[in-house]
Amino acid sequence: MKALVDLHNHSCLSPCASLEESPSLIARLARERGLDLVALTDHNSALNCPAFGEACRREALAPLFGIEACSVEEVHVLCIFGSAEEALAFGEELRSLLPELPYDPEKLGDQVVVDADENVLDLPDYFLGSALSIGFDELCAQAAGRGALVIPAHVDRPMFSVGSQLGFLPPGPYDAVESMREPAPELSGGLAAISGSDAHYPEHVARRPTLVELPEGALEPSEAPRLLESLRAALRAGSVRPSWAASPSPRGTP
Amino acid sequence: MLISELASALGLETAQGAFADRAISSGYASDLLSDVMANAKADSVLVTVQAHKNAVAVASLVGIAAIIVCNSRPLPEDMIEAARSEGVAVFRSAESAFEVSGRLWSALKRP
Repeated sequence: MKALVDLHNHSCLSPCASLEESPSLIARLARERGLDLVALTDHNSALNCPAFGEACRREALAPLFGIEACSVEEVHVLCIFGSAEEALAFGEELRSLLPELPYDPEKLGDQVVVDADENVLDLPDYFLGSALSIGFDELCAQAAGRGALVIPAHVDRPMFSVGSQLGFLPPGPYDAVESMREPAPELSGGLAAISGSDAHYPEHVARRPTLVELPEGALEPSEAPRLLESLRAALRAGSVRPSWAASPSPRGTP
Repeated sequence: MLISELASALGLETAQGAFADRAISSGYASDLLSDVMANAKADSVLVTVQAHKNAVAVASLVGIAAIIVCNSRPLPEDMIEAARSEGVAVFRSAESAFEVSGRLWSALKRP
């Protein structure tokens, strides 16, 4: 079956994302805009993943639970798990790698942990947007060791990417790369390239999904424990069509 | 100025000292290796905080003679190994890229 997948979304926990962007709003907009499988990937934290799981359950949408981690070289990488618990455990590990920096929500943006009904549960008083005290290679190895999908984010962007920070993709345990356009071979490492919305505002949700060929029934709730591995197999097999490769829409807009 | 004269001239710690000595022509300060690839010159010294083995690969590609890692950033073992096999000198400084670049500029301009 073909599934419309978007593995890069930020909620109101990310300091640079809109305060409106609650996990429940992402789930609702994702369902309304035709997505089938959606991951939440806040910067360096998974604290909104439990709410996202509940919100997706209400929308009958298949969720995955991730973190967009920032290595010490300031390279962003998507680390995506099958359950909120695994994402939270990895987030706990990353918490110890966040530098103690002064954090002013007025200047750097709000970071809000909510439940699926948009009640505020917590306002972390440490800045989530910094680089972690861990190298890119070690970060990827740790995420892979915990069973995550490891996908270097927007590898061809001029900031916070493998391309900008490291010049080219070093060897590593990646399942795919996320890119804005068809990436050069030195940025893809020969892996499948996917698109992702990197949604920070409601209008961003579902703007750059990837079409993925998944086994029939892979998105059923009963298949949830196997969903991550089904997706990994599809990525590794290159059974993907990123948004830049999609056929032009009737209106001629990408 | 020769690569071998850098450590004493700038007060650097030598992290990887297996290199063929040669003259340094200029310096380049940047933490974005994409920018280094595009703009750094051969036989220059790279002043950076980007302590990753890809910095060595880029240095080798461009012909950079030496890398100075600033702010006492930890140097990954695989970076040092890569530098040893490529013959790229790696130094480390407790100072910032601004301070190190200032010292390097003065040292290179001195007749």
